[in-house]
Amino acid sequence: MISENTKATREQLFITLYKKAFPATAKYISKMGGSFDEAKDVFQDALVIYYEKIVSEQIAAHTNEKAYLLGIAKHLWLQKYREDRPNVPFDSAGMEPVIEETTSPAAEKLMHYLETAGQKCMEILKAFYYDSLPVKQLADLFGYASTRSATVQKYKCLEKVRDTVKQKSLTYEDFLE
Amino acid sequence: MNEIKQIEDHLLRLAPPEDSLVFEAKMILDNDLHHRVLLQQQTYALVQQYGRKTLKAEIEAVHQQLFNNPAQHSFVNKIRSLFKK
Repeated sequence: MISENTKATREQLFITLYKKAFPATAKYISKMGGSFDEAKDVFQDALVIYYEKIVSEQIAAHTNEKAYLLGIAKHLWLQKYREDRPNVPFDSAGMEPVIEETTSPAAEKLMHYLETAGQKCMEILKAFYYDSLPVKQLADLFGYASTRSATVQKYKCLEKVRDTVKQKSLTYEDFLE
Repeated sequence: MNEIKQIEDHLLRLAPPEDSLVFEAKMILDNDLHHRVLLQQQTYALVQQYGRKTLKAEIEAVHQQLFNNPAQHSFVNKIRSLFKK
């Protein structure tokens, strides 16, 4: 867990990780014939995976970040390589998660709606469920007097977004399959 | 709100197994409840997607900050030189 996980501490973390691990990743991708932009994409996806692993406490923070990030980046690269060139057999033992980005147009419309009309709630829910902030910190960050009222608010937001999903799923029918 | 929390406990597997069984039985009998569970599941997925999107934007901002900062000149050159053919 990152102590005091805020936007500012995340920024510091990513700067540190960039400086520590991006050179090795870029070197690898370049050696494999990839471009700067490909190295960048692969590295950024690796950072997302790394972040999700530490906040969900699936790995301990600071356990050789450089080796870990490079490992994920290599895996992502091999996967991409195999997808782009399906005729080349490539055996990279399936190890780590993939970043899936299959969103339907309806889901995108819904997301856009939530980002604009319901941003405050999305921020609260993200802080709790995605960034795994403890309720105490959630209360401080969003200005609630107690952990109790922060918890109540969290459920209210959950309900509000769920209602939106319901309402919109009737409009954007390809949303709920 | 109570039901929202119950659904959450069920979906995030926070409830003890015996409660989960009772809940599953309820869902079979109550179609509307089942529907609300599906909607809530979809909601968590959206929050996850929103979280990722926000995080990616934060990472990209860091990238821009590093690669456009004169003070990081040697770091940037080191990387760029790897891609010069």
